[in-house]
Amino acid sequence: MKIKKGWIPVFLLPAVVLFLLIYAVPLLMVFGTSLFDYRLTGTGMTFIGLDNYIRLFQDPDFFQALTNTVIWILIQCIVHVALGTFLALILYKKPRGWKFVRTAYMIPNIISNAAMGMIFLNIFNPQYGVINSLLKAIGLEHLTHNWLMDSTTAFPSVTMVWVLFAGYTTTLVLAQALSIDESVLEAAHVDGATPFQTDLFVVLPLLKKIIGTTMVMAATYMLQMFDLIYITTNGGPGKATTNLPLLLYGVYKGENNYGYANTIGVVIVVIGVVAMTVINKAMKVNEEDY
Amino acid sequence: MSPVQMTMKERVLCVLKYLFLALCVCLALFPILWVIMSSFKTNAEILSNGMALPQNFSFVGYRDALTISPILSYFGHSVIITVISTALNVLLLAMASYVFARCRFRGRDALYFLLSLAMVIPMTALLHPVYSVVQTLGLYDTKAGLILVYTALNLPMSLLILRGTFASIPKALEEAAYVDGAGFVRTFFQIMMPCAKGGLTSAAVLAFLQSWNEFTFALVLTSGEEARTLPLSLSYFTAQFSFNYTALFAAVTIAVIPSIVIFAVFQEQVVSSLTAGSVKE
Amino acid sequence: MKKRLIAMLMTGVLCAGTLAGCGSGSDKQEDSGASADGVITINYPTFQCGVNTAAPVVAQLVEEFNEEYAGKYQIKLEEVPGDANYVDKIKVQLGTGDLPPVVYGAGYNLLDLALAKDLVVDLTPYVEADPEWKALYSETALNTNSRDGKIYASSVEGSVVGYFYNKDLFAQAGIEAPATTWEEFFQQCDKLKAAGITPLALDTADSAWVTQLWWGAMVATSGEEGMKFMQTMNPTDYNFPAMVEAVETVQKMLQEYTTLDAIGGKYEHAANNFLSGQAAMIANGPWMIGDFSDTSKTTEGFADKIGSAIYPDSFVYDAPIQGYFVTKQDDPKLEEAAVEMVKFFTSAHAQQLGLEMQGMVPASSTVEVTDEAKSKYPLLVEFLDQAAGAELRSDNMQATMFSNLLDVVSQELPRLYSGELDATAFCQALTDAAAKN
Repeated sequence: MKIKKGWIPVFLLPAVVLFLLIYAVPLLMVFGTSLFDYRLTGTGMTFIGLDNYIRLFQDPDFFQALTNTVIWILIQCIVHVALGTFLALILYKKPRGWKFVRTAYMIPNIISNAAMGMIFLNIFNPQYGVINSLLKAIGLEHLTHNWLMDSTTAFPSVTMVWVLFAGYTTTLVLAQALSIDESVLEAAHVDGATPFQTDLFVVLPLLKKIIGTTMVMAATYMLQMFDLIYITTNGGPGKATTNLPLLLYGVYKGENNYGYANTIGVVIVVIGVVAMTVINKAMKVNEEDY
Repeated sequence: MSPVQMTMKERVLCVLKYLFLALCVCLALFPILWVIMSSFKTNAEILSNGMALPQNFSFVGYRDALTISPILSYFGHSVIITVISTALNVLLLAMASYVFARCRFRGRDALYFLLSLAMVIPMTALLHPVYSVVQTLGLYDTKAGLILVYTALNLPMSLLILRGTFASIPKALEEAAYVDGAGFVRTFFQIMMPCAKGGLTSAAVLAFLQSWNEFTFALVLTSGEEARTLPLSLSYFTAQFSFNYTALFAAVTIAVIPSIVIFAVFQEQVVSSLTAGSVKE
Repeated sequence: MKKRLIAMLMTGVLCAGTLAGCGSGSDKQEDSGASADGVITINYPTFQCGVNTAAPVVAQLVEEFNEEYAGKYQIKLEEVPGDANYVDKIKVQLGTGDLPPVVYGAGYNLLDLALAKDLVVDLTPYVEADPEWKALYSETALNTNSRDGKIYASSVEGSVVGYFYNKDLFAQAGIEAPATTWEEFFQQCDKLKAAGITPLALDTADSAWVTQLWWGAMVATSGEEGMKFMQTMNPTDYNFPAMVEAVETVQKMLQEYTTLDAIGGKYEHAANNFLSGQAAMIANGPWMIGDFSDTSKTTEGFADKIGSAIYPDSFVYDAPIQGYFVTKQDDPKLEEAAVEMVKFFTSAHAQQLGLEMQGMVPASSTVEVTDEAKSKYPLLVEFLDQAAGAELRSDNMQATMFSNLLDVVSQELPRLYSGELDATAFCQALTDAAAKN
């Protein structure tokens, strides 16, 4: 096995170089500059220690954005992943038309977010949108809303823009489910398990890892969610739908305050690390198979 | 429970199941149908009642899309950049993931954790530094620059998927190969890669879609007509005080159809390879 | 060990080869600067492409410039569609210090950002040396384009903004002429409403351009304090009585005088409500005139129904749009070429071209409105006449506010509409946001 050891760095090298160039070096720059008063308009950078972090913890907008981000991550990890997994559990038994469903369900994830945002602007439009038209048609006119622009409905409405489109989850979980050995399922059947019991006690545990993976994906997707919110509500009304990336963007583009924007960036990374660790621990994603 | 009741219950469940599937399909097809429908409507129709059917069919939107923006050449760039970056990404990360899944060496878990950190780094914050890096490498406004960035952008996702894939392949397979005298590299390419086809395809599809739709880096890292990609062409149709939504949706249609086709084709590939792979036990 | 080395090399070559193979662009990449044959190339990124109104004008100017300076200078147009994309890109380049030789400040005040980094070439000596060029600078144009007594930029386009009204709808409500006082204006709104017509097309998204024009007009006509506010660059205090009063009226406009979809609507929605005859008035600039006869956006003959007006109390927005500026380059020859380009692109000829081709308002009042322009854009000429008679004028609020307030306006207007915020709280939110700069 001596040759094998020698090959390890060769196989790792390209990925590590990519990581260093595009992630590590820039990330160090982000960490570093969060300690500076660094603005587009300024002439230089002034070291200010933790001042940006102190400002962060005094900023009510930050706490609102933080809360929104965390709630969205939870919703995505639970509702979105559950939906995608549920669909995969139906499809892996190959009901009629399963291939079509599988492909179709992925399509919304393929369309550019700019277009998806505009579609939902139309669905929620107060004047001619689908939802208000439907409500009017069934005589519930008093329930009509300006869904995206009313402080009470904006958050759940924006959530609808992405939470139902779990194509990635379905694709990944389904691929894993299809690779489960027939004999395992047969054994369960012989033991007298109903299909429902088989799914719950035999199949699901085998899919735990991939579900964990999709949860990590869902969490990081939400942690970076930007354009769909930007197009539909722009974080409003007030800060009702502002999350951390939107806050970061506002500080970056609006205030041109790069140091403070990068401080928010550091917080996003920290939340990401925490979320990833928690999910990995819970779902044992990284446990060895040996 | 009598058998008759079972069938009743099953029947209800079956109906519910298909209802649910139908609902999912409607939900999923609605956006794309809406986009295609809108590409045949006038601006006034799109803005006045986004849900109504077009009053008459015309291909003006497509004609405008082709004349207003250089969509065809951008399309070509997108194909080259996306295909190469996807292939590179999958190859390079398959190599790394294999090592992570199979070899024990000092610092492995730490390195893996470090690499998967890439997933949680906010790209908005990285825009500036990445621009500097690409500029320094002399790759500004080249396809190579975008390929480099896109290969890296999909790093964490591919790593996650491929490491899991390689870990789930039975060890007996490679051991047999080693016994037969195959080296590390040959074992990897000839034995492991084919076994990991499913994971490789999943990773490739995700990488392809992300690169195909990426906008911000494409904007900032290119300037001329050399390396502009398809998503940039969508900006041609809305300016501050003027707009052509018909052409915009025509362009979205032109951009999205190939990805759907590629996805559908690849998806088939995933399944067939999985079915083929299941004989491996 | 040897095997490992070879493998490493192989991987390296593989990557490098693939990258080089598709990186052919890097050899061909033409940077701004002199080429072997002595022709100096100016790479000019612009957002004035695609559906942008000025796109054909810029294309024509580039062609004319390249012809006139053939063998000496050459402009290479680089399309950056979308205003926001252009601004983003310039900002990123500002960060690294390598700006294109010529930048168009437009309504985004890029000039001050570039000046802060000391990257702008002082145009004063060039303008002083050329009486024709100097004659194009009015006092307001000097204001917009100078800092500390030095001229840094040159404007091509003016921004004269009033509002348009639908004569048919006015007639249905029994209104004869646009209002001259705000009191009369709101009486007209009530009349329209009583006749079942939505008086105003408004928006709140994308920094609420249309709504903001009415709002600013009310501030500007409220008295001395309001006018002073409108003429201040980057004002920090929004919490004064005249502003609060104007915001109260905006609240009323949003609640009573506009369409349901104004809340959360973009400029496009407001425009469409006006173009489809659903709303009787829209505040906007002359660039909209072309849309009145665009049949993909409105019905045939719509243009004949439209009249223009200045705001009540004899107010009009009138300010040159911040112009082109030259950035410092390593090669002095390139700087010179860039100055020539700016001069060419803002000359009387260029301004006239914009007017004749696209109905763009010239930055300089000395530019003659030709008969061709008059026959092509009668409404524009009518409006410019009205504007000339206005007693009060200023720049619009958006052009002078801190850029981080733009999003805040969009975020808070829906809450103002719903009553969650009152006018005072709304103004306070803006003041707070301004304090963050």
